[in-house]
Amino acid sequence: MLKGIGASDGIGIGKALIFNDKPIAYDEGASEGPKAEKSRFEAAVHTFNEKNEARAERLNQIGGDGEILRGHIAMLADPYMLSQINELIDGGARAEKAVETVCGMFISVFSAADDELTRQRAADVEDIKNEMLKLLLGIEDIDLGSLPPDTILIVGELTPSMTVEMDREHVVGIVTERGGRTSHSAIISRSLKIPAVLSVENALELIPAGSELIVDGSAGEVYRDFDDSVRRRFTEIQKRYAKKAALEERYRGKPTVTRDGAVKKLYANIGSHKELEAVLEADAEGIGLFRTEFLFMDRDSMPGEEEQFEAYKTVAAGMKGREVIIRTLDVGGDKDIPYLKLKKEENPFMGFRAVRYCLANRGAYKIQLRAILRASAYGNVAVMVPLVTRVDEILEVRAIIGKLKDEFDKQNIPYKKDIRVGVMMETPAACLIADLLAEHADFFSIGTNDLTGYIMAADRGNADVSYLYSVFDPAVLRAVKHIIASAAKRGIPCGMCGEAAADPRMLPLLVSFGLDEFSVNPASVLSVRCALAALDGKACDAAAEKALAAGTEQEVLNILSSFRSEAL
Amino acid sequence: MVTKTVTVINTQGFHMRPATVFAGEMGKFKSKITLKTDGKTVDGKSLMNIIAACIKCGAEVEVVCEGEDEQAALDKAVSMIESGLGEA
Repeated sequence: MLKGIGASDGIGIGKALIFNDKPIAYDEGASEGPKAEKSRFEAAVHTFNEKNEARAERLNQIGGDGEILRGHIAMLADPYMLSQINELIDGGARAEKAVETVCGMFISVFSAADDELTRQRAADVEDIKNEMLKLLLGIEDIDLGSLPPDTILIVGELTPSMTVEMDREHVVGIVTERGGRTSHSAIISRSLKIPAVLSVENALELIPAGSELIVDGSAGEVYRDFDDSVRRRFTEIQKRYAKKAALEERYRGKPTVTRDGAVKKLYANIGSHKELEAVLEADAEGIGLFRTEFLFMDRDSMPGEEEQFEAYKTVAAGMKGREVIIRTLDVGGDKDIPYLKLKKEENPFMGFRAVRYCLANRGAYKIQLRAILRASAYGNVAVMVPLVTRVDEILEVRAIIGKLKDEFDKQNIPYKKDIRVGVMMETPAACLIADLLAEHADFFSIGTNDLTGYIMAADRGNADVSYLYSVFDPAVLRAVKHIIASAAKRGIPCGMCGEAAADPRMLPLLVSFGLDEFSVNPASVLSVRCALAALDGKACDAAAEKALAAGTEQEVLNILSSFRSEAL
Repeated sequence: MVTKTVTVINTQGFHMRPATVFAGEMGKFKSKITLKTDGKTVDGKSLMNIIAACIKCGAEVEVVCEGEDEQAALDKAVSMIESGLGEA
């Protein structure tokens, strides 16, 4: 059995398919003569262009950015590059060698540039080189778009572009070598509802292609060489999951209410306007976190007001009056956007990020706030400010929005007059001054992912200290309780948009603390509604009282797990 | 041979998108087109060489065109750069 991180619940039973990018080897000496090599090269270019044009088309259709692939076609059409390749072939080189040499030259020139954007282009040339070599050598790329039934995909890391191509119907499990519960791989597998185990060391080498596997995405375990009794056991569990899913399905279209009648708001988190459909399909009652970084990433320059407005408007209008909380740019920390030219920092998580960056770059911030304000005319939009640590910050953001409103009034631009402005509670400072912030915020939303890291002073990506990173640690629980209570005292609603809001172990505590809004991954909406319906306020209070009196994370977890087994 | 010196005004300079459009347009002319900037001499029809030259916002670029349609080529190159390469 191989151990990893369980990142997407469920059991997958199927055959391993290894998706590996091994270095490509060939015999450098063997040229078939310049004429034959040139025609092989031209045929490969032709296939390259056709393939990439088709992929670009498909990517654009499903909401990706196909222009990167069109850029690859343009690069390979470069007259200078072509003449260099032809010159080498004339000199007796094999087409593969000529492509590798000329691409290699550009890779080293681009990599050595003193300019980040140029350095990034080296990766594009690397892609072109590898793809051309595969075409010339007749190496079949595994076509993720058409896979055999019951495939378990073994991959280094799941990238968004792989997800786009992946044949979702036939993938029953995912195993990766890298990534934690909040990585791209995890988020993607959960939204596709495919069981996934991440961070399995050396999975690509340890798992033989075509071997039978069982992926337990809840426990984070991958089984090889199992006997029939193991298979029967997991088939049973699989049935239970299917039953659970069927049960959850009964909550579609219903309000979110606890057993004793407390009505909650159940929202979804999204990272792009392209996930609108997933939110509607998931039956979420609103959007509790619309991350806007993705509009700014994977490009060469800042998106303009129009482009941002269109994205925000699509979501605002598409949600038809249901609330849409847009978080303003959360750059910095682990999210680098090269063209913003942020300095390399010793300590990025304590550095120049989120609202700190935005208030220091007001021109760009105003563009985003203008776009949000304009979009607010089309739906129930609210603004959320990330990484707040001081009262001044929320006051300054409010002042900017106030000025924009005056401008809009003068120019007769429509907007939601009573647009709400809230604080994302994710720093110890914000927690300690929650009462002061509540005076100036229309709502709170607790970002448990960063809050846990900052409170415990532990990086979950660092294996030596990640044991400290737990939302169930008494310190974090107290912070969460305090924030919710401070909001209630001031009479403003409090939500939670971190992972914890969907964690069934955490829900009784959140109900007891009085959380108003749960914002979760679209794929978790129905399961959270189902879980909340089973919870009784009084019983939750009793469990919370015990959990808060516990001295260690382990005691808290024990209390919560015995509560669950009693209640369910 | 005709030449003119212009300043790059779009904030990202000659990057992927603008460079692709520029090299594509220049490729339509028969003349030899050269960009001279910061001591570097670059083939104006080569996207890869333009990217490698890292021509940034504010850079002075001398456009040199030589051939049968040199004036038309120069006019097009100058107007493209002066209008921000389609993204200023």
